[in-house]
Amino acid sequence: MAFELSIVTPEGVRFQEPVDHVVLPGAEGAFGVLTGHVRFLAPLGIGEAAVTTKGKTLFAALSDGFAEVTQDHVTVMVDTCEFAEDIDLARAQRARADAEAALAAAKSAAHESELFARQEAALKRAILRIKLATDAGRH
Amino acid sequence: MAGLRDIKRRIVSVKKTQQITRAMRMVAAAKLRRAQNAILSARPYAERMRATLTEVARGLQEPEHPLLVARERVRRVDYVVVTSDRGLAGAFNANVLKFAAREIELRERSGEAESIGLVLVGRKANEFFRRRRPKQILRAIAGLGTVTYDQAVRIAEGLAGRFVSGETDEVVLVYSEFVSTLNQRPRADVLLPFRAADSGDAAGLPFEIEPDPKTVLSTLVPKALQVEIFRALLENQAGEHAARMAAMEAATRNTEEMIASLTLKYNRARQAAITRELVEIISGAEAL
Repeated sequence: MAFELSIVTPEGVRFQEPVDHVVLPGAEGAFGVLTGHVRFLAPLGIGEAAVTTKGKTLFAALSDGFAEVTQDHVTVMVDTCEFAEDIDLARAQRARADAEAALAAAKSAAHESELFARQEAALKRAILRIKLATDAGRH
Repeated sequence: MAGLRDIKRRIVSVKKTQQITRAMRMVAAAKLRRAQNAILSARPYAERMRATLTEVARGLQEPEHPLLVARERVRRVDYVVVTSDRGLAGAFNANVLKFAAREIELRERSGEAESIGLVLVGRKANEFFRRRRPKQILRAIAGLGTVTYDQAVRIAEGLAGRFVSGETDEVVLVYSEFVSTLNQRPRADVLLPFRAADSGDAAGLPFEIEPDPKTVLSTLVPKALQVEIFRALLENQAGEHAARMAAMEAATRNTEEMIASLTLKYNRARQAAITRELVEIISGAEAL
């Protein structure tokens, strides 16, 4: 039994197809959704989504947002969504290096906590992308 | 009377100008198409976000988020003014800037607001207010290039921070609304306190919200704010290209008219010169 999954970001609709199963990176731990799930709304953190459709599983890197689950529809609203095969590995590695450097600098200037949080999030996203992209290469 | 060669030179120069205006029109048309697509792509997310926020806010009695709470007295007001970086777009930037200047003046004259802060997006806004209100500028952002969501996030973070800490009591966003290719209208929207939605019928939530509505709201509201700013940036971008396209089309038309009238003048002058020469030859022959 399939249900419809849509992933929307501010820059466009990234995915809209019937799927069998999806695992999402909830802010308080990953959760899986099958058809007929009870209606609910949950915040998402930076993490990977696993979408199972037609016997295949696709992986995507998501960053913060929400998932709205209804009986036959799951809507994921996130800042960014990239499927494993679309990730630019070189760019992610550069982003990781940048974020690490910025974090090291921010640590000494402890008052910049907002900046620190942003760089930390950037680092998390970069690490996630690198992981997905290298995994996708292996499959 | 202008010499033949002078007229010729002017025609050549106007033709060169025409080539430039024509090329700029084409570039603006292509960029406009891309900018319009960006507006369309942003819509589904914005709509889902608004629907979710409305549903969550409806389930709560009180505004449970600091960004939703209106102040009793509005003493400090921040204005975010959005323009483009580049000119040659007709009255596009002048319209928003004049509108923004009037809004701010009215607010000051009402005597209610004691201080004004300015967050300026786009080089044109910076140039305009740097001369007029240099002391009120809080942040100047320019040279952004193509609009990205990340830019909206950064602007939103700064505004939300000032509002929550009480450095400002109200934030107003002034930008050009993209009504159509031929029409861009300046407008001012109150950004903060954020209006979640009319919490009219508290029918209870059709949802289970995890971990609880308050926590969800605390991430939803800042996101909704980002979406509003992102939309304004996108509309400004589309409006800029549309206005430039119209301006360059008018400029191209003007050069055409100018070339036509100069060509006429050139031909008349040429004809006059030929006639004069003929008269000279004939009268010379008669004299023999």
